[in-house]
Amino acid sequence: MTVRRVWEGLLALVRKRHLDAELDGEILAHLELAERDAMARGLPPDEARRAARRSFGGIEQVKEAHRDRRSFRWIETLVTDVRYGLAALRRAPGFTAVVVGVLALGIGANVAMFSVVDAVLFKPLPFPEPDRMVCVWEAPRPGIVNATSAPDFFDWRRLSTAFEALSAEVDLSAALTDTGSPRRLPGKAVTAEYFQVFATGVRLGRTFAPGEDRPGAAPATVLSYAAWQNDFGGDPDILRRRPVLDGEAYQVIGVLAPGAFDRDETRFWKALTVNLSRESRDIHWLTVYGRLRRGISLTRANREMQTIHGALAQSRPIDDREAAIVVEPLARLLVGANLQRSVYVAFGAVAVVLLIACANVANLLLAKGAWRGRELAVRAALGAGRGRLMAQLFTESAVLCLLGGAAGIATAWLLIRLATPMLSDSLPFTAEVGLDLRTLSFAAAAALGVALLAGTLPALRASRGSLAEPLNRSARGSSRAHAGTRRAIVIGEVALSLVLVCGALLLLKSLLKLQQLDTGVRIENTITMSAELPVGAYPTPEKAALFYQAIAQRLRAVPGVSQVGISTHLPLQWIGNGEAIELAGMEQLVRVRFKRVDPGYFGTFGIPVVAGRGIASRDRMGSPRVVVINQALAARLAEVAGMKDPVGKVVRVSYPAYVEKKEFIPEVEIAGVIRSERVSSPGNADPPVVYAPLAQAPAPEVKIVLRTEASTAVVMPAIREAVREIDPRLPLGDVATMEQVRERTLSGASRPAWVIGVFAAIAVLLATIGLYGVLSQAVTHQRREIGIRMALGARPSDVLAHVLWNALRMVMVGLVLGLAGAFALTRVMKSLLFEVSPLDPVALTVACFSMTLIGLVAGFLPANRAARIDPVTTLREEG
Amino acid sequence: MSKQQSEVPYGTLDLLILKTLETMGTMHGYAIARRIEQVSGETLQLSQGSVYPALIRLEQEGWIREEWGISETNRKVKFYSLTRTGRKQLLAEVASWEKATALVARFLEASR
Repeated sequence: MTVRRVWEGLLALVRKRHLDAELDGEILAHLELAERDAMARGLPPDEARRAARRSFGGIEQVKEAHRDRRSFRWIETLVTDVRYGLAALRRAPGFTAVVVGVLALGIGANVAMFSVVDAVLFKPLPFPEPDRMVCVWEAPRPGIVNATSAPDFFDWRRLSTAFEALSAEVDLSAALTDTGSPRRLPGKAVTAEYFQVFATGVRLGRTFAPGEDRPGAAPATVLSYAAWQNDFGGDPDILRRRPVLDGEAYQVIGVLAPGAFDRDETRFWKALTVNLSRESRDIHWLTVYGRLRRGISLTRANREMQTIHGALAQSRPIDDREAAIVVEPLARLLVGANLQRSVYVAFGAVAVVLLIACANVANLLLAKGAWRGRELAVRAALGAGRGRLMAQLFTESAVLCLLGGAAGIATAWLLIRLATPMLSDSLPFTAEVGLDLRTLSFAAAAALGVALLAGTLPALRASRGSLAEPLNRSARGSSRAHAGTRRAIVIGEVALSLVLVCGALLLLKSLLKLQQLDTGVRIENTITMSAELPVGAYPTPEKAALFYQAIAQRLRAVPGVSQVGISTHLPLQWIGNGEAIELAGMEQLVRVRFKRVDPGYFGTFGIPVVAGRGIASRDRMGSPRVVVINQALAARLAEVAGMKDPVGKVVRVSYPAYVEKKEFIPEVEIAGVIRSERVSSPGNADPPVVYAPLAQAPAPEVKIVLRTEASTAVVMPAIREAVREIDPRLPLGDVATMEQVRERTLSGASRPAWVIGVFAAIAVLLATIGLYGVLSQAVTHQRREIGIRMALGARPSDVLAHVLWNALRMVMVGLVLGLAGAFALTRVMKSLLFEVSPLDPVALTVACFSMTLIGLVAGFLPANRAARIDPVTTLREEG
Repeated sequence: MSKQQSEVPYGTLDLLILKTLETMGTMHGYAIARRIEQVSGETLQLSQGSVYPALIRLEQEGWIREEWGISETNRKVKFYSLTRTGRKQLLAEVASWEKATALVARFLEASR
């Protein structure tokens, strides 16, 4: 078909009325001419008119053929069907509202979830040519990755050819004193190539130039768009402003274009200046990102890095010899296996919800098809073909589903708006969750899929069957097969809902387990905050130690504060790896976590000392070095070195230095053992931890914890005031209660539980509606039968029991199928559960029990109606 | 079927219309239908109305063109005439038709 034909056809569609009139005129003229000729042949006028008609043939057929020929007939049909469908929907507003509502819920939840899945897993990273972006790690042992030392990074950069740019970064935060009170801003120190790797554009100014990270370069900073807007009020003159970060004035050289970095917590970037002569290969502190050259594969980059590593290995401590270097895609770093699993499971759950919604809609359409049996039979009797009827029914379902899809998009928009603030912590900053073309296409596909799934069966059913049956049938009931299909659908719904309910209950139980998890510390009435001493103001560890002593003393005097502790890490928070204990006579090191605490720490968290003593105020700088260890380490020492009673033993422990990236390995005495407190998220065993007195090994970055008798809001002003008395330029950051800290640590486990719980609730609701619909209709159809039974002596309670038994039978079959599904999914669930078996009998029993209860509830209303049927009325009305 | 008249063989109506227009020049639908009936010597059973769908098909193919005119009874009707491509098409169709009839004729001859 040529373009011209298509165009003419479409034009004809629009000009239908006009063209019909033209054809009418021509036919009229034709008949007149024929009549005239016939009269000329001598026929009388009546006879002539009849002859003209006869020789013309069927006028309507000609018109039909003409229309078929000149235009696209199917479009006209479609328009008619859509119009008819809309009219039918308007006539049944209740039905329409229920179907559209069910679909909006199902499609909306799916579209919202898809936008998350898409943003996290499928969409390319929001940087130019993201395939070339990689992270480069050291891998001390297979499966473990580690940060890099500065000398190593410089060697990599010098020796490698696979990268267009290779940059190193380290997280930091700085006190911003610009205007008003000091604030803590999270930022990064990066080498000059950083913005070549991420290839982000600027809104103002420029990013770092080569060499701007050499020692002696003028202090310069780049701001994120969000920082410029929120922390500097979008000042158009920002490039001339010189904000003070940790006591040093910085030139703002550029502001990034708005984008992915605005979702990250990093607000500013400054140059990472490394003085190689003072760096050691033993301190791993840099995260390395790279941008591969065009055409260089990951494998090739990995191979090259292995070669470089081999060359460098000569100059390395023995301990690091077995190590390797891995180059992996940046995308994999940003989305951990855990998040990926949660996202997939949640998406699976929401897909099941959509399936249930489909089943419900199919059910409703089937029910509607049953009412319309007569209408369709009449149309068929008037000559509509089966295909034509199916097309019409299918169009009607499609119209419904498109309406549902539109409502679903609105629902998704709302859901995304509501959920984004809660989710943003768990998602990588590169994930942009929102409605875009991809999500909208998904919505359209979902709506069409629903139309196919939910519309086909009813269309097939309704268009089949004899003409006579529905016409002859009084309101006696729909065909057996019809009811059978609807039952099967409801059983499927019950089964799917059971799977979701089981999943939700298992996750809930796992969540309860987590809440009861023994953290080993007192959580209640504890406020935590962080402070970071600017090195300019506190250049030596002695100064820092004095400050910590003074601040603890001052805070203890604040009304409402009962205990104060200072440490480098909070409980339940990850402690970096890397330190080790050397035991006399053993070559093998015992790897430990290293934590520095002040004398108040153990008391504030109620951590009991099980042997020896805790950290005391006499453990200060200059006094003999001591450490306290946790039970996990004591057990490890007993295992590795046969050390039964560690208290009083002398070992060597590697200590990080105050500011310099260095470590020293002094001899220390183990003064005591404490009960293990929980480090990091559940599921991991307690790692061995060494506690050193903060006063003997100060760090510039600490957490302050306070036990209070009043709420955070009440005591915080006094606390800030107290800190200001000691150091007016020191801002306090990350103020949070210990409950919040715990919540953050556990949230990886709790979020999927809530998401799936919500989906399960929706699924149960939909299944209830479906069950109710089927039973309710069955009762309506069986009124006559019930009436006869009651006339023959059945009691209302018998009828009630009969209908409820009907409901229960469906639920039972559904439960068996659902349990089979739950068994099939154990492997998926196992990874999400904490100390709960995926086949936990309690959860499964509760799920089955509640589904049965729901079946009874859904059955009760129809059953009650059935029991109240008056046999006389029913029989007379149908007689 | 004991009728003397035969129905229009499928596909030949186009040929008949094109040939009619070639011989007679511009004419309206009724005249075309009448002409076909007359030439066929009333041996052809043609529903006169069936020329109209055929006419629109030919017009869509670009073989005939239409213009408005006035009928003998003073009504506005469409007059149809052959286009250049229509003329070519006619030649092609006549040729293929003759080939087909010749083949059938020879076949009947041979099997006699």
